[in-house]
Amino acid sequence: MSEFDIKKPVVALPDMDPEPQIPEEDLFFTEEELERIEGFTEKYPTNRSAVMPALWLAQEKFGFLPPEVMKLVAEAIDIPYAQVYGAATFYTQYYKKQMGTYVLDVCCSFSCQACGSYDVLDYLEEKLGIHAGETTEDGRFTIQEVECLGSCGTAPMLQVTNGPYVHNLTEEKLDQLIDDLRNDKMPPFTSVTMPQDEDEMGGNRRSDVEHTDTYRTPPAPERWI
Amino acid sequence: MEATNGKTKAGDWQNFERILLPPIRDLHKLDVYEAEYDGYQAIQKVLKEWEPGEVVNEVKQANVRGRGGAAFNAGLKWSFMPPKGDRPRYLACNADESEPGTYKDRQLMEYNPHLMFEGILLANYAMQMDACYVYVRGEYVDWIDHMERELEKLYAKGYVGENIFGSDFSTDIILHKGAGAYICGEETSLMNSLEGKRGYPRIKPPFPAQKGLWGNPTTINNVETLAHVTLVMRHGADWFSGIGAPTHPGSTIYGISGHLNRPGVYEYPTGMLITDLIEKVCGGMRDGKKLKAVVPGGSSVPPLHADMIEGVTMDADSLREAGSMMGTGGMLVLNEDTDMVTYLRRVNHFYQHESCGQCTPCREGTGWLEAIVTRIDEGEGNLRDLDLLIDLCDQMEGRTICAFADAAAWPVRYTIERFREDFEAKCKPAVFDTGGVTISA
Ligand SMILES: Cc1cc2nc3c(=O)[nH]c(=O)nc-3n(C[C@H](O)[C@H](O)[C@H](O)COP(=O)(O)O)c2cc1C
Ligand code: SF4
Repeated sequence: MSEFDIKKPVVALPDMDPEPQIPEEDLFFTEEELERIEGFTEKYPTNRSAVMPALWLAQEKFGFLPPEVMKLVAEAIDIPYAQVYGAATFYTQYYKKQMGTYVLDVCCSFSCQACGSYDVLDYLEEKLGIHAGETTEDGRFTIQEVECLGSCGTAPMLQVTNGPYVHNLTEEKLDQLIDDLRNDKMPPFTSVTMPQDEDEMGGNRRSDVEHTDTYRTPPAPERWI
Repeated sequence: MEATNGKTKAGDWQNFERILLPPIRDLHKLDVYEAEYDGYQAIQKVLKEWEPGEVVNEVKQANVRGRGGAAFNAGLKWSFMPPKGDRPRYLACNADESEPGTYKDRQLMEYNPHLMFEGILLANYAMQMDACYVYVRGEYVDWIDHMERELEKLYAKGYVGENIFGSDFSTDIILHKGAGAYICGEETSLMNSLEGKRGYPRIKPPFPAQKGLWGNPTTINNVETLAHVTLVMRHGADWFSGIGAPTHPGSTIYGISGHLNRPGVYEYPTGMLITDLIEKVCGGMRDGKKLKAVVPGGSSVPPLHADMIEGVTMDADSLREAGSMMGTGGMLVLNEDTDMVTYLRRVNHFYQHESCGQCTPCREGTGWLEAIVTRIDEGEGNLRDLDLLIDLCDQMEGRTICAFADAAAWPVRYTIERFREDFEAKCKPAVFDTGGVTISA
């Protein structure tokens, strides 16, 4: 006889009625936020299309998207909760669980891999005492191994909490980044200059950015994967 | 600007003057774009003097081949739109750029976003679209914010919205921020994502021109493709098709990465020799190492062995003949120290992670590809695994809803074919148990 037991599914089912993680008194959108959400719905022929911008707004406000926040979004744009849940769980940038204050997304796709992204990951893991996918005990940092972030010429690189990119990583640069983040100083927007601009117009072509970086390649990596 | 600017065949690339990203300070700002780069002149001229159908023909004649991967003639694609009826019509601008090794659209959106916006207006007029949705990957927040500010200026000046430039044509541009899913770059997945659904690709037919966004006629083009449209309408189709490779004309933005002295984003004519790009443009291989492999157009295209690149140029036809594809023009260059098994293992991981999971051959196949290559990489595989991998590829290619499964299988098939020695070195010899006598192969 097979061991199959209908009551024991092969894949663990998600908890259908989890404990709320956002206190009830905080679980609402302000008038101003509701107006912004209304604005999203006006950009598309259907309300359902506003789900992505609305989830972004909710994530900015609550930090992550537990079921009760998804329900709130569903109410705000007047679509079924199941549709919000479906969308939120498809996209990796929506956090379904509580993350650290700063999420370090280390790109490890092939260009970065070839330029030492796994060395970067090792270094960060050791420095913060956690593995990729985990959060430090003080809740400050989460490390993730992510797929191509579209900055292959400045490999290895990482992104901080769906925000600024940090390019051409070295151990010194990582130390500096972690120190800054411990003091809640986010890295600035950094424009990467085209080599042709460096030759023809001395580098930075934008008068409105202070911080620039150049494309370059670090030595071959120690660890490939 | 002189109409001859940028005119050059690829052989004369040293004298090439950039046309998409010309060296103009602060070109990303509307006032500079208008004052120093003839910005929004083409659309005004077209609104006054051209019939929509004529614009389609001009773009078709220029042979602007799509820069998003498939290299399909943009004007020809536009001509598939049904005649204007009661239904709304949409353009989607594909700025999802997530193919590993590709980072050119980002530079274009940062340095010359108005070229894209003007191209969108031209396309919208040509196909009489009601609106264009620009789908930008969610990671590019800083660039989205910056484009949002420029777009506000366009609305304020009446360049976008009701009766643009005082004409009787009205059209909108809406920026949409993705949230981290490679598959949303596939055109039908992008449409589902815009509709607020999970980013699952749709079965074709019906094609987007018949039944696209919200069931209405839709066309999808890449950012760079639309930027080229502005140049075509500014200088004419003949001017455009005189640049670069005859069958794949224009300039293109090469995003070059890997073991090079000077990687980066470069604009040059299409049809550049790969060897020129490596040796002359990017300053050669880093640390004087030897070249091992070139992946010419993003992770999905078959890698080329160093022996195969002599005389190969960066355009669709030359690369096809050489056994690869132009893809996105995002080129990865690897040196002799690279282990192609480890390289392939990471590429497979990418596809395993990004498969949307709708089709069994893709969902299961990508997982098995990764598992088997990992086994080989860890020294636990044997030679028969290589046949198993090829067999898996056979079962994935052409059997799924979208081209993702093919894109996942090609690197496996061709990396094994072209770098077999790397795999053999890591495989355990096959051992057959023949009842006491051991034969190894
Ligand atoms: C799996 C997959 C991913 C894709 N990703 C992108 C992308 O990130 N950006 C893009 O412009 N095109 C991408 N494409 C190609 C689009 O489906 C579509 O062909 C393209 O946007 C059309 O624009 P074009 O004709 O201007 O090149 C992808 C295709 C597939 C099959
Ligand atoms: S081929 Fe893969 S990515 Fe494409 S629809 Fe099927 S499962 Fe999804």
